[in-house]
Amino acid sequence: MHADIHWGLPIILYFFLAGMGAGAGVISAFVLLRGEGNANRYGGHSFSIARIGALISVPMVGIGTAFLILELGSFEVGNYFRFLMLFTTVTMSPMSIGSWLLVVFMGVASLYALSFLKPDAASGDANDGTRRTMAMLMIPLGACVAIYTGVLLGAVPSRPFWNSPMLPMLFLFSSLSTGVAAIMIIRVFLNSESEGKEAEYRLAVSDFGLIIFEMLSLFLFVLFAFLMVGNSQDAILAIFSGGLASTFWIGVVVIGLLLPALLEARFLTPRLQGGAFAAPRAMEMLIPAAIIVGGFILRYVVVIAGQVTGPVGL
Amino acid sequence: MPYDDSKVLRRDVLKGTAVAAAGAVAASTLPTNAVAATAANTVQYAMVIDARKCNGCHACSVACKTENNVPLGETRTWVEVIEKGEFPNVSRNFLPRLCNHCSEPDCVKVCPTGATYKREEDGIVTIDKDICIGCKYCVQACPYGARFINPISGTAEKCDFCLHRVKEGVVPSCVNTCQARARTFGDMNDPESDVAKLLATEAVTTLRTEVGTKPNVYYIGADHTDPKTDPDQYVRIETNRRQQERV
Ligand code: SF4
Ligand code: SF4
Repeated sequence: MHADIHWGLPIILYFFLAGMGAGAGVISAFVLLRGEGNANRYGGHSFSIARIGALISVPMVGIGTAFLILELGSFEVGNYFRFLMLFTTVTMSPMSIGSWLLVVFMGVASLYALSFLKPDAASGDANDGTRRTMAMLMIPLGACVAIYTGVLLGAVPSRPFWNSPMLPMLFLFSSLSTGVAAIMIIRVFLNSESEGKEAEYRLAVSDFGLIIFEMLSLFLFVLFAFLMVGNSQDAILAIFSGGLASTFWIGVVVIGLLLPALLEARFLTPRLQGGAFAAPRAMEMLIPAAIIVGGFILRYVVVIAGQVTGPVGL
Repeated sequence: MPYDDSKVLRRDVLKGTAVAAAGAVAASTLPTNAVAATAANTVQYAMVIDARKCNGCHACSVACKTENNVPLGETRTWVEVIEKGEFPNVSRNFLPRLCNHCSEPDCVKVCPTGATYKREEDGIVTIDKDICIGCKYCVQACPYGARFINPISGTAEKCDFCLHRVKEGVVPSCVNTCQARARTFGDMNDPESDVAKLLATEAVTTLRTEVGTKPNVYYIGADHTDPKTDPDQYVRIETNRRQQERV
């Protein structure tokens, strides 16, 4: 079988960026709402964490969506606005639902980000009401944006690698953990060493939890494909042998999951035993960087593996 | 089954008046719209391909490319080659392929714009070029590799059973050209049609039934599609797309 790769790098980048942006938006809204009642929960930094997430969410999803449009056949031949046809109808296609979802998400996320835009924005200012309302909408909307890409791929029986109910869950947890990682890495660059460690600890804990759920989803994804007979079993072999195997095992499993999980566990454990959470600055950069790289490679492997495999037989 | 030329209409280039005549006569075998079908019996065009008769001449692929101006490197219908066995016990068989005009088409289900749709009046699955955005979702979703993106229009394309001909009461170009008479076309819901008669009397199979799209292209004698033999002794050569590099 020769492989026709119809969805290449632009789509992979879209899945990755939209996932990370939506994840960052969800985390931002979550931290904002959770931090309100308890100023010490994030060491007094809940507002600044939420602000980073809010401000990166829109450009990430926006740039991702631009990549998506770039790869449309109509755009490639110069029909630059043909994609607007998406918004003349609503169908039950996951892509149609996803497009409308993106529009709503972008609207809400933009309003949410705007409420943080002023340099002196703070909790309790004039925008507080909008900010809170938008934050409540951001959580379900962001989760849906993260999930729908997995549903979109999973909906087609012609691609047995994708055709799994675990794929949306895997994409959700990957989106959330890359979202936290994006916030973490920006904080490292913005803040000096003296920043409160409580916030870093909180982010690391949630990130660790998300990675564990991501591992679990990935494990179940692979396990169920293996337990099936025929098409799915055959397709999952694409990540065990051939060119994608090393990319998957090194890129996704080792760099994206095991390395950050082990490092985070290493720095979280002392705190659980009554000590302090103290990760060196280099580690504070390495951990989220590894998660983000792993998140991209996950999308790459899934999108390509789905297209180089197909139903067995005729 | 003996070939009955009176039932299958072919555009006869030798007779100047044949086109109009064919259109008129055709109404009996190829209903052109829903009016021709009774409420209880909707039209579903189908094709029966007798793989025993196909000798792999590719005339259908060529006729289709000419008829539909199919771009270089792509095909709407093609002939696959399946080789089985180990020397000296070997066989080489052919398998003409095209869109199956499925009754539960996945391509229609996934199309976000409604550009791909199944015509209610005759069951033909086709694409509205003016709506398609070229998102390639349908290309991914078709379990039969029937679709491609036309590099010139940037829109999805595939076999449409020569809708422009069928509307005029003429059979699709591939059926018209097949010198082995391997392809038979017609309304499978009309008991008098050739396809209905073949379906009623011959053992037929469809491809990849497990994906559940309910194909409407049927094969006679296509047991060489069953790959349950030793993979070392089974070679399937796809001929539908320009050879591409593996990833
Ligand atoms: S064969 Fe493919 S393109 Fe044709 S109707 Fe079925 S799913 Fe659609
Ligand atoms: S490529 Fe065109 S026909 Fe196919 S799913 Fe997209 S919009 Fe529909």
